[in-house]
Amino acid sequence: MNAGVRVFAEYHRDFEDVCDVVVVGSGPGGAVVAYELARAGKDVVLVEEGPPFTPEDFELDGALSMARTMREGGLRTTRGTIMATMQANALGGGSLVNSAICVRAPEFTLDGWCDEFGLEASTRADLDPHYQAIEDFLGIAPTPDDVQGPRNLLFREACDALGYSSEPIARNVRGCVGSGECFNGCRARAKQSTDVSYVPAAIEAGARVYTSLQVQNVLASGSRVWGVTGRVVRPFTEELGHRFRIQAKVVVLAAGCMATPVLLQRSGVANGSGQVGENLQFHPGVAAMGVFPRETQPQFGATQGYQSLEFVRDGYKLETLWAPPGVFAVRLPGLGFDLKRSLSMIPHAAIWDAIATCNRSKGRVRARRWGMDPSLRWRLDPKDLTILVEGLWRLVELFFAAGATRVLPGVHGLPEEFRSLDEARRIRSREFRETDFTLAGNHVFSTTRMHGDGRFGVVDEFGRCHETDNLYIADTGVLPRSPSVNPMLTLMALARRTGRQIAARV
Amino acid sequence: MLGWIVVVALAGLGFRRFSLGYPARPVGASTLGAREIHTVRIAGRTIYPEGGAIAASADRAGLALHADRFVGAQTGKNRILMRLLLVAIEHATLVFPAPGPRGWRRFTALEPDQRLAYLDAWRHSELPARRLVFVSLRAILTMGYFANPEVLRSLGLAPREIPRVVTEADLLWPAVGEHPQSIRFTRGDLTPPGDARAPLGPTGTIHPDYR
Repeated sequence: MNAGVRVFAEYHRDFEDVCDVVVVGSGPGGAVVAYELARAGKDVVLVEEGPPFTPEDFELDGALSMARTMREGGLRTTRGTIMATMQANALGGGSLVNSAICVRAPEFTLDGWCDEFGLEASTRADLDPHYQAIEDFLGIAPTPDDVQGPRNLLFREACDALGYSSEPIARNVRGCVGSGECFNGCRARAKQSTDVSYVPAAIEAGARVYTSLQVQNVLASGSRVWGVTGRVVRPFTEELGHRFRIQAKVVVLAAGCMATPVLLQRSGVANGSGQVGENLQFHPGVAAMGVFPRETQPQFGATQGYQSLEFVRDGYKLETLWAPPGVFAVRLPGLGFDLKRSLSMIPHAAIWDAIATCNRSKGRVRARRWGMDPSLRWRLDPKDLTILVEGLWRLVELFFAAGATRVLPGVHGLPEEFRSLDEARRIRSREFRETDFTLAGNHVFSTTRMHGDGRFGVVDEFGRCHETDNLYIADTGVLPRSPSVNPMLTLMALARRTGRQIAARV
Repeated sequence: MLGWIVVVALAGLGFRRFSLGYPARPVGASTLGAREIHTVRIAGRTIYPEGGAIAASADRAGLALHADRFVGAQTGKNRILMRLLLVAIEHATLVFPAPGPRGWRRFTALEPDQRLAYLDAWRHSELPARRLVFVSLRAILTMGYFANPEVLRSLGLAPREIPRVVTEADLLWPAVGEHPQSIRFTRGDLTPPGDARAPLGPTGTIHPDYR
């Protein structure tokens, strides 16, 4: 038993605590900040709303897994353009249930941030030392061939055949066995999610970690904040219990791109600019399934082991994908015996997806009158839809290049399957509506974006809120716009810098 | 007087349509009501009939009870929405009747081929909201279908056993809801760093829950 850790079963009454820094959220941002501060000798309390999970707690049933690890049971959607989006509710946050992808943002993307958002110290050269430190700490490395599995290697073959660049995806894993279960939580304890990496290291360095606490308000007086309050919450329910208050010299919000703006709006803090909750951006994705003559053993191999950044400057990235079969099978065509025939092709199938930068498509997050769940509105811009369609076309092209005999695009208005590339060419000539696609977007950004000018952003490039002296944000909300690739590593690099900045000030 | 007769007649018809003729809720169900369970069961039989490329049917795969568990695992707002979805499927025949005679009957009372045609019309509808309702229904059923060990085994997708590795985190966190005193691992149980583990493959032992 560790005195620095508290879980739901240990809260028997209302309580108060005092510390130097309270960090709200234990995902990739909050855990890194907490570690950096604890290592610098600060008295840190890390608060997490979700529970810690052991391998025995992970559900292999995809539906129940989502219901237990995700906010709103995994059924959160945007309004405007309807799109599914998932945010984790667990110690480790999104790192517990993502596919461990750790990619540095391209230099051109970070240069664009600096040029357009008045930033002076956020070029690739500025962030590289932080990227490197995170990579060293988590053992981030390209996925080796022995855990790629056939469906990932087919993607490499396809890229080679078409002359597109490709590379094994760098991931934060140690000893991956290729179970393909990343989205359910890693039973092999190979994924270095923050609950098994940065959080234990922060505790070792002296941080206290309190789980099952829902922060509901940031306490502020004038331009200073002085703590947070909230309620104990029972795991897997919305049942609220005892109250708590934690006083601190500095507050760091790392509750996620959707929960942090809700907290700020509810608390009436840091929003003189009106920017809190604005500029909501996603990486919407489209996926297609290719069917091959030989078995692909799709459940074996890294969940996402290979990618192509060939088209990243055009606004999209191509990658391999695997998910609990019940989740992706939702998109397969047919009903009754026809559907069963489609499902029976899964052992011969691979699923690849395209995620798009979509910098033109924006929305907003608003606090609801009751509860902490956000109201989300977002609209896919027609030009970004065109990019998604182009991404879909490239996927189909790759599948046939790898030898697929049929490709199932899963898009309303298209044939349920293509038997040849020629048949598929209609993708490029057809007009699509956003509602033709079953969209999902789990990378979320910019709702408390950094900007050199406090009128247009919420935080500066070190994560400090422009309008307060001692309130920081360390989640993907601070990204001024899409990082062009998976955001986790860039967030962790920025969080490391924020943690060091706070340590120097407190 | 005539007006009252019409009102009473409509109320009677409404009561009959919405409440009568449903089988009792099965043992083990705790969240969905008898009518909702019946809708799930009939929709399941329509989407996943007995036989075909995968032998297991919706009934054999236990879709109704899985849906009950899934809805039960959701919090307030989602539970309501999911139950409304089942009501919509059951009674939207009044707005979108199934082809064939008496296509306005509730979904569960339609003939099997009418049910298939009715759901297929939702699937191909030009109304995005209608397609969304169908996709949501099929998601609930499909996730339940793929939770079934027989289905997964038949496709070679059953999860494999993974040897338990003990890390520092296992000395810190108890299972969800448990007290830290329940942590059974000590430092002596820690798996040495760098312990090589073979990648999983088709010859691996199937997880005990899926045998």
